[in-house]
Amino acid sequence: MAAPGDIPQAGPALQRAQRDRARRRKRMRWGLLAPALVVIGIFGLAPLSIALVYSFLEPGTYGGVTWAFSPEAYVQFLFQRDIFDDTLGFNGAYLRIFGRSFGLALITMVGTLVLGFPVAYFIAARPEQQRNLWLFAVTLPFWTNLLIRTYSMMLIVRDEGFLNGALIWAGVINRPLSIIYTDGAVLLGLVYSYLPFMILPIYASLEKFDFRLLEAAHDLYASRVQMMRHVALPLTRPGIVAGCALVLIPALGAYITPELLGGGKKLMIGNMIALQFGSGRNWPFGSAAALILMSIVLIALLVSLRSGAKPEARHG
Amino acid sequence: MIDIDNVTKQFGEGAAAVQALRRVSLTIPEASFFTLLGPSGCGKTTLLRLIAGFELPTGGDIRLDGQSIGHLPPHHRPVNTVFQSYALFPHMTVARNIGFGLEMQGRKPSDVAATVNKMLTLVRMEEYAARRVDQLSGGQQQRVALARALAPHPKVLLLDEPLSALDLKLRKQMQGELKRLQAETGITFVFVTHDQGEALAMSDQIAVMSAGEVQQVGSPEAIYTRPRSAFVADFIGDTNIVPATLLRYEGGRAVIRFAQGPELCANAASDALAAGPVQVALRPETITLTDAADPAALMCGTVAESTYQGAATQLTVRLETGPEIRVEVTDPPSPGARVGIACDAAMLQVLAD
Repeated sequence: MAAPGDIPQAGPALQRAQRDRARRRKRMRWGLLAPALVVIGIFGLAPLSIALVYSFLEPGTYGGVTWAFSPEAYVQFLFQRDIFDDTLGFNGAYLRIFGRSFGLALITMVGTLVLGFPVAYFIAARPEQQRNLWLFAVTLPFWTNLLIRTYSMMLIVRDEGFLNGALIWAGVINRPLSIIYTDGAVLLGLVYSYLPFMILPIYASLEKFDFRLLEAAHDLYASRVQMMRHVALPLTRPGIVAGCALVLIPALGAYITPELLGGGKKLMIGNMIALQFGSGRNWPFGSAAALILMSIVLIALLVSLRSGAKPEARHG
Repeated sequence: MIDIDNVTKQFGEGAAAVQALRRVSLTIPEASFFTLLGPSGCGKTTLLRLIAGFELPTGGDIRLDGQSIGHLPPHHRPVNTVFQSYALFPHMTVARNIGFGLEMQGRKPSDVAATVNKMLTLVRMEEYAARRVDQLSGGQQQRVALARALAPHPKVLLLDEPLSALDLKLRKQMQGELKRLQAETGITFVFVTHDQGEALAMSDQIAVMSAGEVQQVGSPEAIYTRPRSAFVADFIGDTNIVPATLLRYEGGRAVIRFAQGPELCANAASDALAAGPVQVALRPETITLTDAADPAALMCGTVAESTYQGAATQLTVRLETGPEIRVEVTDPPSPGARVGIACDAAMLQVLAD
């Protein structure tokens, strides 16, 4: 038997063929990737770089920027400059907006998880030929613009809307509930709009899940709750983590929903940033706020990715 | 002891309804190795799932040691299952898989650890406790599945074709292993298989099933040598089913005659058959070949085909009355030879249906 490492010499033709294949594989790899890289470069990285530069400049009087370096935008995020003596005092207003946004986004995430997991489970447990129909139903809202869906939600929850009308007609209440323009309305809108982003990744995990494992757990004295806790949840964890990220991140930057259902009174980060580029006329501050949000999200994402990868790392 | 009393299971409703089990009654003795044997779709796995509690019977009852368990969910039955696919938890180590049932029963961690170690020793997997289950070979996964199901010390262990995914050599080895485990633990094993060789090799008792009904229950020897019906005779081992004429009963035995030769006193699956044409089961290895003119010959024919099989040679003999029968001999005549078929009357079994 030949010793390992004792490889017979490749002939010149074979060597040429080997080189050709390696080259072709490399060319193919870059060819597949290049178009997307160009798009991301032009429309993703370039604007981000502009925002980064702008955030360190001074605001122009009528919007735009003045080309003078200033860290003022970042200072302004936490502090307020006294008009008279220029001293800095702590200002929690923007921090509160961030806090509120995170709070709403987290509740949205938990809400979509609680509502979405059973739905994903239900679909995954259907016979195979029925599943596509159910998935289609889940993605159906995407066929209508979010703006239109949010407006229709306003029609439903406003004081003279369908919901109040129906409740008054049924005699449950005699005065309309004020739902619209509250945090509750924003939350309702966020949960509604992001629910499919939770359902789909969890479904993808559950679809690969071997339901016979639940039978095995049930056979081994696990109650239904224990079956879920010890078998179904750990094995669908990657889908749950992905779903949470897919809901939390866009919910943090949500603009339309809080704008319409919150009436623009209850600012979320997205609205606050938009405001700086509009009537606020403070582009550097808008850029800085956007970058701060992005950094926080990136850190959160990295942490969640690491915790999502943990079960593999522990065993492997 | 498990009492399966008139159990019926129907899947679906109305016109689409399928009768998986029709009034099955069985008694599975305590601490025995009991096999449910039959072709796929005969209802054997359904019966197993009813005992485990994954399905509820449509009618009838299942009793364990006199107590009705037919209505209980799986986690309230002292019955554990070894699944065909093993269904090991991929996110747990071997040890945690084995300890899962005990943990769910709320045993103390120290108890769980001790039992897990005992089980690892029992299935000879001590070195693998910390492994992930997907790092194991099929045979090793099989052992873990066994240990996991045995760990809570159930009253009954159900095995759903557990050896079907293993290669032949490993299967033979695991057959011995299962017998040993059953004897060592004293737990009642209910084993489902479609492999008659496996059933004969391992069981204390076999229930042969087909089309949702139990065809025959008995020891491997009884099933093999005294099949009740053509189905059982044909399903268990290689057999010839040959027409003969029933003349009368004599002392509980059937007096029959083949195409030629003397009257014979054969075993009968039933003592209530009408005189006339009957079917007789004749195992290839019980047949001896003689001269066609031998007065002891029950029938005669010509050798049509000869297949060398190592220890013996299988011959196909075309009878003069038409059908072909298979014969196993060690000194085969050459094809085309005219031979007489003889057989010890004690080896003949008159079939009931």
